[in-house]
Amino acid sequence: MTTFLTFLVNGALIGLLYSLIALTFIIIYRSSRVFNLAQGELIVIAAFLIWSFSDRLPDNPFIAVLLATLALVVIGLIIERVIIRPLIGADVFSYVMVTIGLLLFLQGVVLVLWGPEIRLFPAIIDLAGVRIGGMVLDRALVYGAIATVVIATGMMIFFNKTQTGLEMTAVAEGHEIALSMGISIKKSLAISWILSCILSIVAAIMFLNGKGLSFAAADVALVALPAVLLAGLESVGGVLIAGLIIGITAQLGSYWLDPLVGGGVADVLPFVFMIIILLIRPTGLFGWKSVDRL
Amino acid sequence: MKNNQLLSRAWLSIAVILVLIALPFFGGGRVIGIGITMGITMIAVIGLQLTMGYAGQVNMGQSAFMGVGAFAAGFCVSKLGFSAIPGLLCAGIAAALFGLVFGAAAVRIRGFYLALTTIAAQYVFIFIMLKLPHSWFGQAEGLRLKAVGLFGFTLNTDVRVYFFVLFVLVVLTIGAYNIVRSKTGLAFVAIRDQENASALLGINVVKYKLLAFLIGACYAGVAGGLWAYYVRYVQIDQFSLWLSIWYAGMIIVGGTGSILGAIIGTFVISMLQEALTFLGPRLAELVGTGSGQIVFAGMNIILGLAIMICVIYARKGLVGLLPRKLTSE
Repeated sequence: MTTFLTFLVNGALIGLLYSLIALTFIIIYRSSRVFNLAQGELIVIAAFLIWSFSDRLPDNPFIAVLLATLALVVIGLIIERVIIRPLIGADVFSYVMVTIGLLLFLQGVVLVLWGPEIRLFPAIIDLAGVRIGGMVLDRALVYGAIATVVIATGMMIFFNKTQTGLEMTAVAEGHEIALSMGISIKKSLAISWILSCILSIVAAIMFLNGKGLSFAAADVALVALPAVLLAGLESVGGVLIAGLIIGITAQLGSYWLDPLVGGGVADVLPFVFMIIILLIRPTGLFGWKSVDRL
Repeated sequence: MKNNQLLSRAWLSIAVILVLIALPFFGGGRVIGIGITMGITMIAVIGLQLTMGYAGQVNMGQSAFMGVGAFAAGFCVSKLGFSAIPGLLCAGIAAALFGLVFGAAAVRIRGFYLALTTIAAQYVFIFIMLKLPHSWFGQAEGLRLKAVGLFGFTLNTDVRVYFFVLFVLVVLTIGAYNIVRSKTGLAFVAIRDQENASALLGINVVKYKLLAFLIGACYAGVAGGLWAYYVRYVQIDQFSLWLSIWYAGMIIVGGTGSILGAIIGTFVISMLQEALTFLGPRLAELVGTGSGQIVFAGMNIILGLAIMICVIYARKGLVGLLPRKLTSE
């Protein structure tokens, strides 16, 4: 019974990690209507920045994280200004290819700057496990899960109740309408990228605390994609539920099906799930339905 | 297209083909090797151009389709004793069937979501190949082939493989041009430009979306089969998401929606890769990374930049820079 419960709870924790990563995608999509496929690379860069700064300041992990956040925000704003801005209003093919181009570019840069070796990510959060009942859980995942719930709830309140948040929601619904009401699209874009970068830093810590870091870590973003789609590209609140569903399904699927097929279920099940979601309900559980005009 | 234009294009094509035929006698082993790889890639990229550039269906899984073809050909040749051309037919059909699954998805899923679905194809492909019986496809170890036979000859030297690849490339390129000029090609472009309006005009969107994936995957499958014949070792790591992305990049850089664009794009990117491999050790000293990594990293940086610049500033790619007389599309 404990094993089943462990799988279930781990599924929930991992699912919330997916939710956090999904949030980094969704926040950017919400303001620019551009889906940044290169988001995984930004998370890796976040991780490497933390590693580099921690290396120089081994006794001040929090300052290292702060510096890394600042650096990432600057990088994010440059990307937003130079690459994403020209893409607003462009067709799907364009921004899919440009963000893929960005992904390739950033991958190359990460490899050149930091090399292919695996580094040890600093254990900013204490490595001792959290004991609940008979289970031992990863402390970073637990703290991260709590942080994700807090952040997602905070984002929901921000976008739906505050002035700035509502303005950004208006921008997400339609750029021309927002402009005609005097809302600054540029400000919305900038804020959303800053938020996304901060969340990337949190995600990097949660995901890599005390573990090995290499350029291949960007793959984590791809695995979070099913959570993004299940929630709906514009949904900030729904992302928690979506992440939980994907995480738990993957872990339980692994628990029941791994013995039958020899493992690997947890890797492929989210993608199968994603394809099913896309077939049945392309806009996700909580996404906005848009009208296609000729 | 006017007759003069047609004639001058025909002469130009024949001239190019003659040069390519003469190439092995002037170049060394390395040149032949590059030629074979480039030719194989071109076939896959032309197929991708038909699916993405002409029919507008985003496909980030072309490498997986190529993998299916490679394994099918490998299986047919090494376990069933097929010769070269039946093997390629198997490869094409197997890949086409796999592609059909995603074509079916494309009927309901559009644009960006289709890109994600085809990315998923890469992972599904790997998962399936790892789970199928070891005696079929070798799971993680892959398949080894003996040199394949073709009308009594054995394709056991690079030169022979080169000519076979060249032959298949020419045939498939002519085929692609014919498809583009046919009713199917016109339907593709109509669907790409305005899908809803096409449906209103009575174009069977479902049929043509399925065809777009089927044909594109078929080309990838044949390319995969040729790859199996050349390298004589098929393994899942050879068919990655990165390759699929690179193929899409070649189309963008060469020019979307043009067969010539696919050819030019493949040529330019492959040459860049060779240049980087050549300069690799020197660059590695400059930057301090391993020389193998610098090629991969350098290619990604250059290709990534090229894609971003092309999409934002040069929509027609390299083909758009050529004089109008050479391109009629």
